[in-house]
Amino acid sequence: MRRTLLLVAALLALPLAPAAAQDRWVVRTEPGTPVVAVEVLVAAGPADEDTAQAGVAYLAARTVVEPIRHALDSLGARLTLQAHKDALSFTLTAAPDAWEDAARVLLVALFRDPPAPAEIERQRRVVLAELRAREANPADALGRETDRALFGERHPWGRPAVGSAATVQRLSTQQVDDFLRTTVVPERALLALVGPVRRASADALFTPFFPPGPLPVAEPMPPTPADSVLRRDYNSITTWIAAVYPFPASADVEALGMLADAAAEMLEFSAARRSVYDVRAEVLARRGGGELRLQMVVPPEEAEAWAQRMRGVVASFADPSPAASARFREQLRHYRGVRLLSLETPEARARELARQYLRTGLASIILTLVDGLTGDRLAAASRALPEPLVVFLGPFYETPQGKAAP
Amino acid sequence: MFALALLVALSAGDAPADSLVQRPPALAPRAAAPAALIVHSQPALPLVALRLSLLADDPAGYAGVGHLLQHLHYPALQEQVARVGGQVRLERNSDALVYTVVGPAAELAYLGGVLRSALAVPRVSETTLRIEAGVLAEERLAEWETAAGHVRAALRQQLFPQDLPATGTVAAARRWTVEALPGLWAQMYRPERVSVVAVGDVNVELVARAFGELPEPPAAPLPEPRVDTLPPRPPARAEATQGWLALGYAAEPGAEPAALSLAAWLLRRELRAHLPDASVEVEHWWTHHGQALVLVASAPEAALPVARRALAVGLPSLLPELTPGRVRAAAEALRREMLFHSRGPANMASLLGQFADRGGEPDAAQRFYDALGATGAGELERLLTTLAARTPARVELPPQPLPRRP
Repeated sequence: MRRTLLLVAALLALPLAPAAAQDRWVVRTEPGTPVVAVEVLVAAGPADEDTAQAGVAYLAARTVVEPIRHALDSLGARLTLQAHKDALSFTLTAAPDAWEDAARVLLVALFRDPPAPAEIERQRRVVLAELRAREANPADALGRETDRALFGERHPWGRPAVGSAATVQRLSTQQVDDFLRTTVVPERALLALVGPVRRASADALFTPFFPPGPLPVAEPMPPTPADSVLRRDYNSITTWIAAVYPFPASADVEALGMLADAAAEMLEFSAARRSVYDVRAEVLARRGGGELRLQMVVPPEEAEAWAQRMRGVVASFADPSPAASARFREQLRHYRGVRLLSLETPEARARELARQYLRTGLASIILTLVDGLTGDRLAAASRALPEPLVVFLGPFYETPQGKAAP
Repeated sequence: MFALALLVALSAGDAPADSLVQRPPALAPRAAAPAALIVHSQPALPLVALRLSLLADDPAGYAGVGHLLQHLHYPALQEQVARVGGQVRLERNSDALVYTVVGPAAELAYLGGVLRSALAVPRVSETTLRIEAGVLAEERLAEWETAAGHVRAALRQQLFPQDLPATGTVAAARRWTVEALPGLWAQMYRPERVSVVAVGDVNVELVARAFGELPEPPAAPLPEPRVDTLPPRPPARAEATQGWLALGYAAEPGAEPAALSLAAWLLRRELRAHLPDASVEVEHWWTHHGQALVLVASAPEAALPVARRALAVGLPSLLPELTPGRVRAAAEALRREMLFHSRGPANMASLLGQFADRGGEPDAAQRFYDALGATGAGELERLLTTLAARTPARVELPPQPLPRRP
């Protein structure tokens, strides 16, 4: 078949092929997309690690993928690795004529090849350097403090998914090897495939690697959150604030995504909010629920006021007034674009589908996005949120009433 | 293709004066064709990227004014595109002024209107203009302050003296005034010099309707004719702890672009293998001013002599390596890089637009893609032999001596 830049995918225009419920892979056929993205999620992470072995999942994953980079380079394929709380994510992107070879290289390395002890040591050094750099980063520190407060000291998700320098330093080669053999296994994996591909090609490639049957479901441990407000001293000239709203599995995640986007817009730097250094908002959805996280960086003396403002902004979406309804149309118009752009690349769409599959257990090929969002749904999502957990990270001084900003 | 401009060095008193740069008239008929509309369907997501380019040189004596106009338009464009959650990018390259927006396909008409607004003279105060001129001055210095930018800018001056920096020159910047803008824009802008590339979930009719009739140039008096001058010394000293070497081989007019890209790819791989202590880039420069093969290396002082020799003999030493298999592999790698780069609509629009702006047909990108696969070792051999016989442009930056500890 003659390959062309613009028409390579159109030649494979096919009706969309839905996945059977028991399949481990979901295929979204996209005529017109110039590359193929493969997302492999392995449900392995902190919940599978002892406290003393925190970070073994990430180190094990690196040990697997780094040695195959040269082979992937020669195929023109790109691979990224990310450790989530509930899964290891391997994202592969390759040209339509190379994706099968590239995916095979990854799957063989993941599930069939034994790790080399020398590679484990090499990757340990790299991971340690990475972790030491991250430990000095205030954004990372805020994430760690927030996780610990939100899930509890003893909860595996209260720890960073990548571990800490102290624990990674102590991991033995045998522990990494054992983790790979017992936990990074096909029984725990699922895939999403996006691009100009046929369902039959995916079936032919993936079937030998995966056992039949659905992904075993492990319900996460219930969290034991700390007090609603937490203050941590940090050597910085600004204060970092996180306001975290946990939500249950039944929450309207798309409405919460819109709420997060609109809240960030209402808090970000502007002529009227000159003291705001940075604002971030994200919705993290996992099996069993998730959380809406708002984060701000502000001057220490304004931290309390901004934390109050964050609560006020989130609560304001519960307002069913006509003014809020007019505002909703503008916010939805903005959010639709933001949401679409977040899925601009095929690998972003593959990630989204795989996460959706892992979270809900339902293999879908359709990205429903913002369709059907209404002011009522947004208001209901806002009303359903509990009081947030607020974490302050920055300079404080002691008062008779406790810690306060200068 | 423009004739090469004449560089004349002048002197005024004791101080070395700027040198004159003669250029063809700004509206020389290099693209007399009517406005081009290129539409590429990527129906994976209801998203669209629109790239509008205006083929224009800055009027003589007013170098940089095109990019200044882009800076003046940017805040309004950004604000309007943000309303629909989209993004806007500006680019001033050697061929064109380029504006790209990406957002929901449902907002096509709105986004088209936003882009059309960039074809009018922005209404700004003299203060705003001076502020943005200051920003451009910083950009101009930044290009020269980093060693990587410095060697390339110096090489560009030698290879294509008529290709002035996008940020203009100090002398030209003094002539930028609010009063002069309409006349300068009238000289640069013609509807028939505008190209539009649309990529995403759209079709030709929709895009044509979104752009409709393009505005006419303003009826303003043309600015007083001037000449561009370049300072005798670089605007800033480069910060470099390593030594930098750069060689540039200007290609014959009509040289096959695919062959030059393949030669750059092969040479980069070869030189990197031979110079493990150096950082090496080999680039194919390609604008309407011409094409060149550019070799850039940076290395510690001790490794500089070896790197200098390797670069000097780089082209002839590649000749024995030009087997059909290697050329095929290089073509495959380059094609895959193109596919990977263009996997999102914005980058696909950028790729298609760049080829069209260089005077190519609407399917120029596709032809280049095909030509990569059709170029043989013999053609590459002839190209490299011709280039190697020419005296290259040369730039060297010695490493800065670091202060010794007492």
